[in-house]
Amino acid sequence: MNGNKNPMKKFFGLAMAAVTALSMTTTAFADEPYNSYNYDTWDDPVPSQSVYRVEATITGAEMQLDRLRDRSDPLFYDEEAAVTLSDAADMSWDDDRKELWIADTKNNRIIVLDEELKLKARYYTVEGSGVDGFAAPGGIFVNTSPSLGCQVAYIADTDNSRIVKAKVKSATELEFVQDYTKPDSSLYTIQTFLPKKVLADGAENVYSVVSNISTGSVQFSRDGTFSQYYGANRVQVTAAIVAQRLWRAIASEDQLEGMQRNVPVEYANFDIDIDGFIYTVTEVTTDTDAVKKLNAAGYNIWNNAVGNEYKFGDLAGGQYDALTKKSHNTRLTDVDVSSTKLINVLDYETGRVFQYDSECNLIAIFGTKTSTSDQRGSLSNPNAVESYGDKVFILDGSKNDITVFVETQFGKYVHEAFELYDQGLYTEAKSSWEEVIKRDGGYTTAYIGLGKAALKNEEYSKALKYFKTAYDQDDYDKAFKYTREAFLRENFTLIVIVIVLLIVLVIVRKVMKQKGIRLIKRKPKRLNIEDGFGILGDAEKKAEKAAEEAVDEAEETVGEAAEEAEEAAEEVSVSELEEAADDEEKEGE
Amino acid sequence: MYEFSTLGWIKHVVFHPVEGFEDMRWKKQGSIKAALVIVFLLFVAMVANRQLMGFQFNTAYVKVFNIVPLLVQSVVYFFTWVIGNWALCTLFDGEGTLKKICIYSAYALVPYIVCEFISILISNFIVQDERIWMTSVHYLGLIWSVVLMIQAMKAAHQYSFGKTIVSMVFTVVAMLLILFLAILLLSLFQQVYVFGYSIYTEIAYRIRG
Repeated sequence: MNGNKNPMKKFFGLAMAAVTALSMTTTAFADEPYNSYNYDTWDDPVPSQSVYRVEATITGAEMQLDRLRDRSDPLFYDEEAAVTLSDAADMSWDDDRKELWIADTKNNRIIVLDEELKLKARYYTVEGSGVDGFAAPGGIFVNTSPSLGCQVAYIADTDNSRIVKAKVKSATELEFVQDYTKPDSSLYTIQTFLPKKVLADGAENVYSVVSNISTGSVQFSRDGTFSQYYGANRVQVTAAIVAQRLWRAIASEDQLEGMQRNVPVEYANFDIDIDGFIYTVTEVTTDTDAVKKLNAAGYNIWNNAVGNEYKFGDLAGGQYDALTKKSHNTRLTDVDVSSTKLINVLDYETGRVFQYDSECNLIAIFGTKTSTSDQRGSLSNPNAVESYGDKVFILDGSKNDITVFVETQFGKYVHEAFELYDQGLYTEAKSSWEEVIKRDGGYTTAYIGLGKAALKNEEYSKALKYFKTAYDQDDYDKAFKYTREAFLRENFTLIVIVIVLLIVLVIVRKVMKQKGIRLIKRKPKRLNIEDGFGILGDAEKKAEKAAEEAVDEAEETVGEAAEEAEEAAEEVSVSELEEAADDEEKEGE
Repeated sequence: MYEFSTLGWIKHVVFHPVEGFEDMRWKKQGSIKAALVIVFLLFVAMVANRQLMGFQFNTAYVKVFNIVPLLVQSVVYFFTWVIGNWALCTLFDGEGTLKKICIYSAYALVPYIVCEFISILISNFIVQDERIWMTSVHYLGLIWSVVLMIQAMKAAHQYSFGKTIVSMVFTVVAMLLILFLAILLLSLFQQVYVFGYSIYTEIAYRIRG
């Protein structure tokens, strides 16, 4: 009956299966051109979920830089104006106005983009500064000036040997406020003044990373006078430096002159957070001063020399690069502190951004650098990093574009969790951590977070389990301490009873042994003659005393034991005497 | 006088560091079986130290557990010590036989092993601030064993105190030499093996091809 239908059904079934199979294989799967990873407790790289994904790469065309050539456009500059960025060196995000300022170094101009990364303003010069145009501006910093109450830009105009502070007048004009030039101070001993990066704090002190100055950043006060060097790096102690130190001790004056001097590496870049702490990065291969958090006095809060263990960048031996399989040295080139105090550190060598929370816990690693670097998310010369909301921008000086990373759903949970966790709201962070673990079971900090939440709720065994999973020994230790206290508190009576019982048992046994009493009657062993010597004389006295003690002890505590002891005490004197007599007899023989 | 079982003798030498070994020698006591058990227990203590130490104290890399280094550190070191000491002291008028040295050395290790187990046990009940309990027990065992080892060697070879110390220092040197030679031999044999194997493959190819 259904004979006719069946072949059709079969055919359709086959066709459906084929279509499904084909569509499965041909589905384009947009993934990052790298494997996301994270570091575990042993600093081993472990695969992880992506916290950020590439949303877009913004080139000059997408920024609408061609408007600069359009005569009818208010932002028109020149028919020949460059429509791409060229080796742009620095970026600054103005959080008050949602603007991204870019120092377009080779094009000698400043480009301002709006939230959508479309052209909003462009500046080719600062009016009234006495210098026409910029010359390879390498650094930019924008904020709202507390004293002027308006938006000001600090531009490190490198080849003009000045830092210029300018008020924003319009989308094409900047008004001169102040410039900062080569300090006229005996402390400033270098001939050149080539500011590379610039920063201003709440009191409008200006800090600048200047080429060839290794004694820290140059700090100017608001009126343009040089005040000091700020936050110098230290020389990294290597075997070569120690050896050189020894040579210096025995070298003559002439030899000393010919020797290489050991100077610390200058910073690569810095950023300031809303509390006024300055974060610096240095392109060094190891962790001496790689990332610093400086307070107003220039003291490094993340100082590993005082027993901390802050680690940044790829950890030693961490070459988890399935694509390049190359060994590399980390070169941290830029740092960015977001408004939520997430710290993004950009590694020039690998094109990776390492994101940390305010306590230096590693949150995520994203971005890469490949030989071709023509895939989205792959970088060539990553120069600067900035962040806004759930986005991270990376400026590429070779591809001349901005790569926009946006947080994934996983990233959202991670960030939520970290935000609460860093405030100490462990219980509140619990649900977010659980979501994190659902997506990435190897995310170490999630277990620590859950453990702390459990500890706060006095769920000790749970806390211990979580800390053990994360292999967090210090927190485990704390949890263990509480667990032990709770255990002792709950079982105090029982423990005391057990101890007393044990003591009684030991005493009773001793007494019984001394008196030779056995609960189970056995054939008496042949006694050693030596054993008899010591106790023969005062055996009786000793036995009586011990028996009395035993009775006292026993009566106080447990009935059973007391009975035994009493029994023992009754039998003691008789049997002891018998034994002693036996011994004497044997001796006599 | 001094009629003990094997366990009794171990107890006697451990708690009588000054004369214990002399007594044992006088009575011609000491069991090689017990000595081997003690060496095995030393190995067990090493493993326990790594695996059963309280979590908050355990610094071992838990992802990999390789038993060979532990075996080398306990059993191999012990027998190298015995052989080294025997080789050295035979030349320097020591009276100890290989068996005697083995037995006496093993007996001397008992406090160390026991204290190691105790400190492992303690580590499961204390927090990091109270680490001193654990370390003090550990060092108690270590020092005790060192003292016993000196006495054991002194009794085994009938040396003076000074000569014992010197012989022990040179035993350590001998151990290093033995281990160095062993490694050398091993790598040489490996090369011989590789050489032989390559000849074999060469011939095999010729025959086949």
